[in-house]
Amino acid sequence: MRGIAKSMLTTLSVFIRPPVTRFYPDVHRPLPERDRAFPLLLWDKEIDEPFCTGCHACERACPVECMTVLMKDNPNHKSVGGTSGRRKIIDKFWIDYARCMRCNICVEVCNFDAIAMNNTWAGHETSVHDRKDLVMDLQQLTTLSHNGAIKEWVPVLGKANEA
Amino acid sequence: MPEGLFGLNPWLDGLIRLLMIVGLMTITAMGLIYIERKVLGRFHARVGPQRTGPFGLLQSLADALKLIGKEDLRPRNADPWTFEFGPYMVFVPIFLGFVVQPFMAGFSVRVLDLGIMYFVAVSSLSIIGWVMAGWGSDNRYAMIGGMRAAAQAISYELPFVLSLLSVSMLTGTLNINEIVLSQWQVPNIVWQPLAFLIFFIAALAELNRPPFDIPIGESEVVGGPFVEYSGIRWSMFFLGEYASLFIMSVLISALFLGGYEWPFGTQLGIGFQFLLTVVKAAMIIFLIIWVRASVPRLRIDQLMGYAWKILLPLSLLQVLVNGFVLVYDLPRIVLTIAGIGGVILLVSLTERAIRLPRVTHQSSLVTQSEAAS
Amino acid sequence: MVTESASEFETQDLLLNVGPQHPSTHGVFRMVMQVDGEVVREVIPYIGYLHRGAEKLCETMDYRQGIGFMDRTEYLAAMNAELSYVMAVETLAELEVPERAQWIRMILVELNRLASHLMFMGAFGVDVGVFGTPFIYAWREREAVIDLFEEISGDRMMYAYLRPGGLAWDVPTNFVPRVREVLTAVRQGIADFDGLLTKNEIFIARTKGVGVISAADAIDFGMSGPSIRASGVPLDVRREEPYLKYNDINWNVITRTEGDVYARYLCRLDEMRESVKIVEQCLERLQPGAIMPEKMPRMLRTPPGEIYVRTEAPRGEFGVYLVSKGGNRPHRLKVRSACLSNLQALRHMTIGSYVADALIVLGSIDIVLSEVDR
Repeated sequence: MRGIAKSMLTTLSVFIRPPVTRFYPDVHRPLPERDRAFPLLLWDKEIDEPFCTGCHACERACPVECMTVLMKDNPNHKSVGGTSGRRKIIDKFWIDYARCMRCNICVEVCNFDAIAMNNTWAGHETSVHDRKDLVMDLQQLTTLSHNGAIKEWVPVLGKANEA
Repeated sequence: MPEGLFGLNPWLDGLIRLLMIVGLMTITAMGLIYIERKVLGRFHARVGPQRTGPFGLLQSLADALKLIGKEDLRPRNADPWTFEFGPYMVFVPIFLGFVVQPFMAGFSVRVLDLGIMYFVAVSSLSIIGWVMAGWGSDNRYAMIGGMRAAAQAISYELPFVLSLLSVSMLTGTLNINEIVLSQWQVPNIVWQPLAFLIFFIAALAELNRPPFDIPIGESEVVGGPFVEYSGIRWSMFFLGEYASLFIMSVLISALFLGGYEWPFGTQLGIGFQFLLTVVKAAMIIFLIIWVRASVPRLRIDQLMGYAWKILLPLSLLQVLVNGFVLVYDLPRIVLTIAGIGGVILLVSLTERAIRLPRVTHQSSLVTQSEAAS
Repeated sequence: MVTESASEFETQDLLLNVGPQHPSTHGVFRMVMQVDGEVVREVIPYIGYLHRGAEKLCETMDYRQGIGFMDRTEYLAAMNAELSYVMAVETLAELEVPERAQWIRMILVELNRLASHLMFMGAFGVDVGVFGTPFIYAWREREAVIDLFEEISGDRMMYAYLRPGGLAWDVPTNFVPRVREVLTAVRQGIADFDGLLTKNEIFIARTKGVGVISAADAIDFGMSGPSIRASGVPLDVRREEPYLKYNDINWNVITRTEGDVYARYLCRLDEMRESVKIVEQCLERLQPGAIMPEKMPRMLRTPPGEIYVRTEAPRGEFGVYLVSKGGNRPHRLKVRSACLSNLQALRHMTIGSYVADALIVLGSIDIVLSEVDR
């Protein structure tokens, strides 16, 4: 009985403490900078085109094969009178968010720092009614970066220390 | 006031009283569900319901609407009659128990001279509903739950009744209102601490509240007799549970805490009496919820053993001590001292019980090490 | 026990199917219990509902890609699972892990042990029948640990943070104060559990003397982790085959002798206190430095060979057997799951007990079904 009394005192002490509930849909906890939701493509604001050149590195490295990349000649390249230094550029890009396992490998293998994990709440609240709506195309993938709505965090990797 | 409440004819009067019970009980039960969720939430370091209405006040209403709107499913193999009438058999006795509850002076539905006996008789009926629900569902979990409920109710009925008996011995009446009125100076808990403790424990068991919630134990028999129920029938079980929680807390406050009488009930009028009843019942309910948040569930054999080996002898002892005091006209302080001694005995017995070498039913299964040797 | 011939009635045992959807089977475990009234006569466990072929999947991936699947084999202690895997790869590829990475790994692994044991406390408390209270106490502190992991690795459960050779990236600058904050929270959580359960008479009555397994039987069943240490066998891989820096700091192997459910609970509770101590010592020893070896190839390849590496995960020995035939992916990967071995003893521990006890025993060996089935 004394042990039960001790248990009850413990619960009472919790009763007096403020609750720890997070009022999730009303109040969004600030996410840490490194938070990984789903991969996004970054937008080169200086030239106004994606960083991605469609080199297939991420597609090959993806463990779950959730990416599809198509590349094209850059219509904005300097050789054809444009402003960009990228000879090739991404044509079409799909990421199936339903398959993605958010392992961050695509970010690590990217040579152009063109892909980053979404570290905003928008990346976590992706519920849809149909699975095929989770397949994101190039336009959807670049919008957030284009609008400047994310503060991207590209990890400084162990391999980067070497360089 | 057997003449009828508003001077109406008895049938109409009866109907009004019935509606009063049903309405009051439903509202109380819904309020209690809200309070329990809120209080339990704070014990859990949560906030409880908060989205429906201000502070989540309408949560119970929303739940009730949802449950009414749900389909009333019946498993194909279930026994139709026992399955469908089980909830009523749980619900109706609880309603009947409401009849003798003393809220204010002269304001129970009926003041019965054999109030306690009537209450004990009808309240134990609801166990038939549990067994019916358990048996009729054609579900093994439900059946185990129903059997557990029956075993538990039968065991705890005895200390429950005996501790009630010791109170009525002291006051010399079975009429609950008279018991309440007799406590105008000192509440019964002072004279009968042991009976109070036993009654509280037994009431927890009668209500199937933790730590005696083994018939519905979610982590073992997944809700027990309720497993197959849905919609309105399930909500009747739930309503019954909370209505009986309310009834039991009012009864405890009436029998042991002085009900609407102590302190200054008669002097300060009917409003104060109502307040007293509500405050005391709320205290008991808070205590019950607090216990729920703090203790694990007993096992069936421990539960039965506790009732038969500890509670029953001690409640008999209480009756015996009461008898001595009454027959030899000893001063009442003897009761208090004996009662406190009894409480200490109960506590130490409980603590000894867990230290006993327990009978393990460990198997005679040939173990690998034995097989190897 | 029952002599049928003497009985007038012909009795029949009831077959009770527990799971795969049952509140206290901790996932999709299923067992068919043959019960005589409330007493369990026979238990037949069924596993495999969560089999995803993670081992086979890893064989089709290079070493870095496999990390994500290791997270998912044991989602409650993903850091520990990752650690076994990356250590196996490192040993095979002969990589030298920098000091700092080792200390950080140790901190993370112990923190994850705390999170996992907290989870056990919560789930076990609910199994025993406290209505939700321990679960929420557990999640309150686990949340602190997980938030910290999110700040470090970016994800709350599937960290994918350890890499063959070291760490994926360095910890944030406020790492040390944040860990200390988390430890304070966890200490409070341990105190709460201690107050709520340890001395509670009903809890003791429910758990003491239940599901007893002797040391010899526990060894025979191949149990490991707190489940075997509660039977009095001081088997702890951290002490037997020290990895990381466990030899450089002071800590004790927690053992108890009773071998019952209560002992397993106390063992885990004390282990949490021990983990807090280990993390504190690691924090003092943490120095700035590199987190990856100097010469790290862009694509990790291993020479042919095979290796078995084991570490002490919260549930016991988590081993990774790795066969390489050269190249950048494993030829064969086998995970030795502590949960699976511990689960073997379930039948031995439950037969003859009550139905309610059987579920407590199941809870006390703290299985994670994704690790059992893989």
